Amino acid sequence: MKGLFQMEPLLRAINLSKSFGTLSAVQGVSLEVYPGEVVGLAGESGSGKSALSMVLAGFYAPDEGDIYFEGRRLRCPFQARALGIEVIHQKPDLAEHLDISSNVFLGSEVGWPLAVKWLKVPNRRRMDKEAARILEQLDVRFSSLREKVANLSSEQRQMIAIARAMTYPAKLIIIDDPTLLLSYSYQQKLLSLIQTWQQQGTAVIFSSNNLDHLLAVTDRIIILRQGRRVAEHRTDEADREEIVAAMVGTADRQQLTPIIWALDSYYRAREQAEKLRHSQTLLERDLVAQDALNRQLIDQLAEQINALDSANVALQDAQRRLLTELEQERKHLAREIHDQAIQDLLSVNYQLEGIGADESVSPTLQDELTDIRDSIRVLIDDLRHICGNLRPPTIDSLGLGAALQSYTHDWAKRTGISVTLDLDANLGRLPEAIELSIFRIVQEGLSNVRKHAHASAVQVCLKHTSPRTLMISLADDGQGLADDFDLSALSTQGHYGLLGLSERVALLGGRLKLQNQASGGLLIQAEIQHPRVAETGGGQ
Amino acid sequence: MWRILIGRHEIVALVLLLVIGAFLSLRTDTFLTWNNLSNISRAFSWIAIAAFGESMTIIIGGIDLSVGAVMALAGLIGARCLEAGLLVPLAVVVGLLTGGLVGWVNGTLIGRVRLPPFIVTLGTMSMARGITFGLTGGWPVRNLPQGFRVLGQHDLPLGSLSLPLPVLLMLGLAVLVSLLMSKTVLGNYIYTLASSERALLTSGVNVVQIKTLVYTLCGVLTAMGGLLMTARLGVAAPTAALGYELDIIAAAVIGGTSLFGGEGSILGVLLGAAVMQILRNGLVLLGLSAYWQTAALGAMILAFILLDHWRRQIK
Repeated sequence: MKGLFQMEPLLRAINLSKSFGTLSAVQGVSLEVYPGEVVGLAGESGSGKSALSMVLAGFYAPDEGDIYFEGRRLRCPFQARALGIEVIHQKPDLAEHLDISSNVFLGSEVGWPLAVKWLKVPNRRRMDKEAARILEQLDVRFSSLREKVANLSSEQRQMIAIARAMTYPAKLIIIDDPTLLLSYSYQQKLLSLIQTWQQQGTAVIFSSNNLDHLLAVTDRIIILRQGRRVAEHRTDEADREEIVAAMVGTADRQQLTPIIWALDSYYRAREQAEKLRHSQTLLERDLVAQDALNRQLIDQLAEQINALDSANVALQDAQRRLLTELEQERKHLAREIHDQAIQDLLSVNYQLEGIGADESVSPTLQDELTDIRDSIRVLIDDLRHICGNLRPPTIDSLGLGAALQSYTHDWAKRTGISVTLDLDANLGRLPEAIELSIFRIVQEGLSNVRKHAHASAVQVCLKHTSPRTLMISLADDGQGLADDFDLSALSTQGHYGLLGLSERVALLGGRLKLQNQASGGLLIQAEIQHPRVAETGGGQ
Repeated sequence: MWRILIGRHEIVALVLLLVIGAFLSLRTDTFLTWNNLSNISRAFSWIAIAAFGESMTIIIGGIDLSVGAVMALAGLIGARCLEAGLLVPLAVVVGLLTGGLVGWVNGTLIGRVRLPPFIVTLGTMSMARGITFGLTGGWPVRNLPQGFRVLGQHDLPLGSLSLPLPVLLMLGLAVLVSLLMSKTVLGNYIYTLASSERALLTSGVNVVQIKTLVYTLCGVLTAMGGLLMTARLGVAAPTAALGYELDIIAAAVIGGTSLFGGEGSILGVLLGAAVMQILRNGLVLLGLSAYWQTAALGAMILAFILLDHWRRQIK
């Protein structure tokens, strides 16, 4: 950097003064800018930064003083762009009625014929493409580059003004604090742009109210107060306090410290707020993305659940059909045995009785016949029993209550376990399928008690808990469930009793509860809903 | 309906033209004859040509009051050159240069020195008019050669009909200026200048040059109108085109050129000039006193400025 200062300055301003009416905005300011150098202009608002920038940019002719650019004295006001000086203003100067790409390329239109600059017919397609590329670099996006700039936000307009400065190869870029209109991310963009320009060897005069911005990118900082140049600091060696002291114009540290604090915390707070706003927008964007993803996942999940549901329904349907067919088959079988086998056996028995009554039969044969007849009677009884198991004989004619009474009575006699049956007084008739299912539930529950419970008494209870819900409960005084009892593991162990019971309950759309009683023994509770009997009298 | 009126400024002039035309066709037998129409178009052709230039100065946010005087001056200088024995093309070029010179003076004073257009062109108006009187001592220049008069009087045969040469020239210039204004970078700058001069400055566009160029172009076009008028009349009088600046500005304004700058089209100006001439012609055909015509014209200009103002407020 030291070498730079032996070079010819790119811009040299000597003793510039400019006043507007009685207000003297710039008073005797001299400065030099070398190629590839970033010079900051600091000062409070009203210190003449903007006025100086505009004089240096050739907009105002200074009242006094000279400007040399590349060693040549300039006649003010001058055409900055023709010299290779780009200007970015505090407020964007755009052609309001022109569209975005026309504004980006204003003054440097691409078109044909190349030689005659004013009779050139702009090539819109190429300009749109180029403008889109430059705006892309700046992270600015528009739905259409043919939008009139009058309709855009001031931040968008400022970014277009910055883009315009990038269409032209510049030797010096004068930036007059455009950051006021920009949000945090675009401010950072501008700062990194200034650094890029610096690396490319372009000189930059950067006037800003924000000391942090100045400290971040400049090589030196010139401080203005009331139109005068009061100090200059190399940024590397700059002390924030010194700069602020020069800006506000007091050497008294005692007075200065609160000002610095105030200024500092003000800038910090503003910066913080900007940063927060920035991260908030990022966060919001993230959230929106996450939300979309979640929604997608939920949709997929819902789909899968739906698929599983329909599969389940189909499965339950199949099971229900299977059970129904099983019952039908049993009923059929029972009828076959009852109507055919038993009747046949009875008639065989009568015939044997007839044969036995014959006088000519020897007594030994008679004894044998009597034996046969006895065993036939036992056979018939067995068959009757089988029939009863296949199809409770009473359920069709007398209903569930009677069937249960007769079954539990038989079962108690057969097993020696005492059964108390507690039936709801107005049980009525239920649809055949439900009656059968309940019967089978009780049957399976009792057989479970017989096989596993080692119980001496069972209490079977069938009660309405509401007009359309029936509670079936079986309570035994046996050993109860093991601690590691797992309903779903039963099938792997080859036990189907409780499992079948639970499947039946599930098919009826009911709830099954298995729990050990406080007094020991298992309590099975199945709660099922049933349609109103009157309505579905003919139901299946 | 109102949207269209607001959107395209030419529409008002077109509707007006059709309404007045239809009215006159019904009320008189003489209006809708080729002869009458050809006379009308010849009569407004030089006004229209000058109005093309005028509208450019208005679009950049200025005005040129010197146009009437420049028409007379250019015609007179051309005539003087012919009198001195110069060839017709040379005399025409000298006449155009005269107009260009006045325009350049206007443009330089307005653009470079930044004087207000109204004052500058008021000054050059008196100067140009004064020069015509000074040069002639008040007497008209007569006996222009046939070769020059052809420019204004000759009709090109077009089948059984005939098209006046000035009308043809007017149409040709309309197309040229229209292309310049709508297609080129310069046209873009001209429309931008009134509302966003600083944007052009920042973009390195030489605004002073544009202003100078526009006023110079206006001067040249006006001179063209003046020469055609002189050729048509066959006489270059110092009092010619007296008060034409009103007609020319009116043509531009009726054609939708906004006096606030930034808006206007050459097609509109053409229609505006036609409306004015037809109105004049119609008033004559209807037998209204010529003295009232100027009053009617002034009223119309005011009406259109009001319309423009109202349109901007709605926007």
